[in-house]
Amino acid sequence: MASDKLRALNAKEEKEAEMDMSPMIDMVFLLLIFFIVVSSPMIVKMDPEVKPAVAFNSTPAEDKNGRIVINIRGEDEYYKVNFNDPDAKMVSKEEIKEYVEAEVKRIAAMNSEYTPKLHLRGHKEALFEYSQTAIAGAAEAGVNQIIFSVYPFAAK
Amino acid sequence: MARRKKGMLMEDDEPALDISSLIDVCFLLLIYFLVTSTIQPREQDLPMTLPSSQKSDAPLEIEPMLIAVKKTGSGFSIVVNKNEVLDTSVEGERRKLPLLFESLTTYSNLANANDTKPLVQLFIDPLVEQQTAMDVLNCLKGAGINSVTFSQVAK
Repeated sequence: MASDKLRALNAKEEKEAEMDMSPMIDMVFLLLIFFIVVSSPMIVKMDPEVKPAVAFNSTPAEDKNGRIVINIRGEDEYYKVNFNDPDAKMVSKEEIKEYVEAEVKRIAAMNSEYTPKLHLRGHKEALFEYSQTAIAGAAEAGVNQIIFSVYPFAAK
Repeated sequence: MARRKKGMLMEDDEPALDISSLIDVCFLLLIYFLVTSTIQPREQDLPMTLPSSQKSDAPLEIEPMLIAVKKTGSGFSIVVNKNEVLDTSVEGERRKLPLLFESLTTYSNLANANDTKPLVQLFIDPLVEQQTAMDVLNCLKGAGINSVTFSQVAK
């Protein structure tokens, strides 16, 4: 009689073997928050008004150091990397030259091994004339490496 | 009486939530977002080096290649070495310029055979769109040419 009771009790315990899910959910939330925090600065720095052209021979960005960003939205106006700042707009080759010279100095002070490069984000429908102005301004400031920002395939 | 009370107590102690329906909904949402989302391309690099301002004393061992991109109406035309007209439109979704690519590959191979760097001088009409200029640079990159001279008509 007593052994029957014991057996019944054991059987019941086996049936109710459950996994505790709460630490797993904790971890998932932790990872989610981590990725939200990490990914946001990458999105902020790209001027959303610039839609780059398409070139399938482009390569993924390897060295992100020493880049001097200029955004061209489609008119004879040039925007610095922090495109939302009130003084981000440049309108002439001379202003571009000044900006590039200041950036070259800043990059050299940060790490002398970095090569300053012009990172040109031009809108696909902008005239190439504006890119030429930016290139000429950078060349006058002594920067002769240019990186054109492009998409590897067309955005839908 | 006593037995019944014990049974009720036990049930109260272990409230179990059935999470299988929650998982079902999660998978449904996951599949919905997988299907409806479009892949957004990430920006990549198309690097080009301009010639440095230092003049070299060595004479040119190879004739430089002149590429002119001219605006014609709503399109463009690519003229090589002043008289040879190549592509006047891009081909397909990958925006290829087959004639220019062939010409550049031949020139690049010739330069490599002579142990010199290919010299390309590029004149792009200021009125062509950025996309057209990128198509030409894309072609140069495809042919293994990474340095180019931009010539510009002085304003």
